[in-house]
Amino acid sequence: MTDLLTIDYLRDYLLVGAALFALGMLGFLSRRNLIVMFLSAEMMLQGTALSLIALSRYHGNWTGQIFTIIILTVAACEAAIALALIMILYDRRASLDITLWRELREEAAPDLVPIEVEAAEAEPVEPIEGPETYPQLTPAGVEPEHPIQPWTERRR
Amino acid sequence: MTTGSLLPTLIILLGAIGVYLLLPHRLGRAKPRSVHVAGATLTALGFLGFLFSIMAPPTTANPDGHYYIAAAFFYAFSAFALGSAVMTIVSRNPIHSALWFAAVVLSSAGLFLLAGAQFLAAGTVIVYAGAIIVMFLFVIMLAQMEGRAIYDRSARSPGTAVFTCFLILWSLVYCLGSLASRPEGVDEDPALFNQKLTPGRELAEHYRLDGDHSVKIALDRVFRTTSADRDAEGLAKPDVAGLGESLYTDHLVTVELAGSLLFAALIAAIVIANPKRSLRSGEPEPTPSDA
Amino acid sequence: MAGFFVQWIWVVPLLPLLGGIVAALGATRFRFNAAIPVAIGIAAAFLFSLGAWASSGPENTIVVSKWLAAGSFQVPIELRVDGLSTLMLSMVTFVSTLVVIFASGYMAGDPSYPRFFAFIGLFVFSMTGLVLSNNFLLTYAFWEGVGVCSYLLIGFWYAKNSAADAAMKAFLVNRLGDIGFAIAIFWLWTIVPNHDLSYTNVLAEGTLANLPDSARVGIPLLLFWAATAKSAQLPLYVWLPDAMEGPTPVSALIHAATMVTAGVYLIARSTALIALAPGVQLLICVVGCATALLAAAIAVTQNDLKRVMAYSTVSQLGYMFMALGAGVGGVAQLAVVAAIFHLFTHAFFKALLFLASGSVMHSMGDVIDMRRFGGLRHRLPYTCWTFAVGGLALAGIFPMAGFFSKDEILLALAAAPEAAHAMDLTWGWVYGLIYWVALLTAFMTAFYTGRAFFMTFWGPEKLPSPDDPEAPEVDAHAAHGDDASHGHHHIGEESAPIMTWPLMILAGCAVVVGFLFGSTGWLEHHLQGMYGFEGLGHAPHAFGWGTPILGMVAGLAGIGLAYLLYGEPSPAPARLAATFRPLYVASLNKFYVDEIYQWTVMKVLWVSAAVLRFLDISFVERTIVGIATAPRAIGRNALAVYQNGLIQFYAAATAASVAILLLILLFS
Repeated sequence: MTDLLTIDYLRDYLLVGAALFALGMLGFLSRRNLIVMFLSAEMMLQGTALSLIALSRYHGNWTGQIFTIIILTVAACEAAIALALIMILYDRRASLDITLWRELREEAAPDLVPIEVEAAEAEPVEPIEGPETYPQLTPAGVEPEHPIQPWTERRR
Repeated sequence: MTTGSLLPTLIILLGAIGVYLLLPHRLGRAKPRSVHVAGATLTALGFLGFLFSIMAPPTTANPDGHYYIAAAFFYAFSAFALGSAVMTIVSRNPIHSALWFAAVVLSSAGLFLLAGAQFLAAGTVIVYAGAIIVMFLFVIMLAQMEGRAIYDRSARSPGTAVFTCFLILWSLVYCLGSLASRPEGVDEDPALFNQKLTPGRELAEHYRLDGDHSVKIALDRVFRTTSADRDAEGLAKPDVAGLGESLYTDHLVTVELAGSLLFAALIAAIVIANPKRSLRSGEPEPTPSDA
Repeated sequence: MAGFFVQWIWVVPLLPLLGGIVAALGATRFRFNAAIPVAIGIAAAFLFSLGAWASSGPENTIVVSKWLAAGSFQVPIELRVDGLSTLMLSMVTFVSTLVVIFASGYMAGDPSYPRFFAFIGLFVFSMTGLVLSNNFLLTYAFWEGVGVCSYLLIGFWYAKNSAADAAMKAFLVNRLGDIGFAIAIFWLWTIVPNHDLSYTNVLAEGTLANLPDSARVGIPLLLFWAATAKSAQLPLYVWLPDAMEGPTPVSALIHAATMVTAGVYLIARSTALIALAPGVQLLICVVGCATALLAAAIAVTQNDLKRVMAYSTVSQLGYMFMALGAGVGGVAQLAVVAAIFHLFTHAFFKALLFLASGSVMHSMGDVIDMRRFGGLRHRLPYTCWTFAVGGLALAGIFPMAGFFSKDEILLALAAAPEAAHAMDLTWGWVYGLIYWVALLTAFMTAFYTGRAFFMTFWGPEKLPSPDDPEAPEVDAHAAHGDDASHGHHHIGEESAPIMTWPLMILAGCAVVVGFLFGSTGWLEHHLQGMYGFEGLGHAPHAFGWGTPILGMVAGLAGIGLAYLLYGEPSPAPARLAATFRPLYVASLNKFYVDEIYQWTVMKVLWVSAAVLRFLDISFVERTIVGIATAPRAIGRNALAVYQNGLIQFYAAATAASVAILLLILLFS
């Protein structure tokens, strides 16, 4: 019996894959949070996986799907190592901003928008209230020594 | 292009403008609600146009009705995938981005199912949505700043990025949109045989009869019995069984390599994330430094 | 056996080079034994060259290896073992051996002892290569080699400013001549068949017959120009007297026996080529004559013993060129034989004279001004009598070697007018004039030789002291330094046997060589084995007694006059000098040739150099620096902006490029 995946459906799958790829690239290029950048890269991989699956079904062999399995594997390894590295980077600068990591450059290149200016020009943001706004109970008895560090003094 | 190249260009342009409006401001300024609404509307229009005019419905007649159901599911999954993708990249909160990405993965798993790759659908959900995204969430938890950070609220040169990416998308659409089935009644011209995306099986049949030596050998290597998705009688093999058979006979080395890769990544991740040196016998324990 | 010496002839230049390299590399180990490897190398080369002498022939060439090979430009290292080469080779190696033995005693105590002998080894390598080479370009390479070694050896005591300047002067004046040689080689390359610059090709009769007219005159002129510089003729002789700043063995070896003869060798070798232009031959003769006369005129008044010998060398080289220039028509063979014979004998007696002067200088504590010492014949007997033998040879007294060789030259000059007339040349009478000038110069030669001998060795004994009126203003420190460098040698003692034995050997040679080689015809017979010798014109010459007798008379008269004036201390020379005061002062000051050059040539060069320097700094340098700043400016101001370290920027740039590429592929 003829295959259900005609060239029209193939085209549709490929277009969706292309759109996912393009959107992933957009997120990679424009967001500044390291984690969101990496998520966008994973989305690009999803787009290519979709194209591979469709082509595999179209051509009638398993090669595309096997390739997708390997992409999955590689994405997992990549995610593990990348997140470990992100953790290290966060430890250094206490921020997930990619703009802070700019040492590999020419000294003559001017800063596009200095970070202080950015922070100054940005709209102030409503801060999330922390435990200082929580209702306080009357302490009963002597407060024992807290062996755990409070959440405000987290590891930087 | 099924309907000329002007309409798809307009649709993509609409989508581009919409996404641009939705992205965070270059300097982190808050965008008024109306902008968000406008952006969402334009993006939605773009997507709908993308779905229904670029991805045109199939022109062959459908003898039975489940083609339409399949088509409906296909459009639903595609819309959800594209919408979740846009939400991933425009969310100001990384947790939201991760969750929307989970939605992307789920919808693309649905698309895999529709294409007949059931193992991969399940595998994607388990590995991606189950493991990778959870890992992302853990990292976000460990590495978050208080309040909304400037780097979440702002984007780097959104205009340039939007322009570049939608330019790529436009060129890809231009390329891929011209793939279409041959209308009925047109003679099969051997000269045109290789110009369309010919399915591999037909190529193999053609060259088996033709006897072009090197191409025949290459195609025979690709289209071994274990590699084809139909068995000797022409019935479709079950997905997982066929995939497994092909994986462990044709691509055994690949499996081994993937295993080694995972092993290496495991060690690397542990070593990178834990820079403390392990104690050797005889050495005094390092005193914990004050925080 | 004959073939063996020809096949392995390339060993001859290599042995001294090897000795020099061993002396250089093992300098710290050998210290004051560094002369031994060099002496062994040169002696072995001499023995080998004797074998080569026996097996020489006009066609013996061997190709040792490839050197330059670029398409049609092929210059292999080819050596030639014919009559002229082996003659010069044996002479060079023999004299070099004796000079090295002498120098090992003379230079004892000098802190740069090994460097000296390394340079000597290098020099002998270059010289032997020069005489053995069969290719003009290879000869040029060795020509430069001897020039460099001359520079290194003259400026051996480089800390002394005068020595460094003299070395530079020698090298630069030689360079002027090398330009002529180079242009001659280029010209030859363009017109010679197969562009083959070997002697067998260039001097072949066929090639010579097909030369264009301009080349027939131009190339001999250029070759003579080169020889002028190397063999110290007018106007480029000015470097040779200053070259006496080097150690005396260097003067003996290089500026008496070997290097300065390279020019004569080149002209002799190219006689077939030069004989095509009788006008150039006349020019050679005239220049040689003028040089001989001028140098002899300067030598009669010099007070520095080595300077006298230097000008004497210039004068005797003029004789050799006179002989070569007289080779018109049928006299050609005789002329070549005469010039080479004189070169041969001159090597022996001039080296002897220089070494004896060195021995005198050594004994007198580095004083060489003849006015400061006298009557040394009892203190330095060996030096005195060997000097006498050399002096007699130089003056041309029978039966010394100089007599026979000078006689041949005069014979050639006498036969030249007839030969010129036979060739329908109008200037045959000039040769006759030159003949008489040559005799006059012989008289002057004998005079100044006798003067030098009698001032040094005759009369009352006198040793140099700091109270001499001619003593330079010197502090005791420097004098002590010189003494210390000569080891245990005290002033007034005869030199060590290692220095006197070479003197005696050379004196013996100076006595017998003329008779042995000239009268028996052995030399002429040997030179028959020179390439192209048969092609030269030869006519039978009547042997007249007039020329030898005139030569003897001139020589004896000169020595007699010198004895009269200088045998006993007398006021006669001073009175003579006062009478002819302008001439005397001019002669003492070398006829102001150096000053003339300074004010004509040097000033022009300095002015042009200043102009060029200005142009260079203000235009050329500014342009180049300007061109160099352009990429820098572009990089720093335009392109560096894009290296801002932001990963997303780089990724965006990559994505944009991919998009553009995709679009180009789609729409092309």
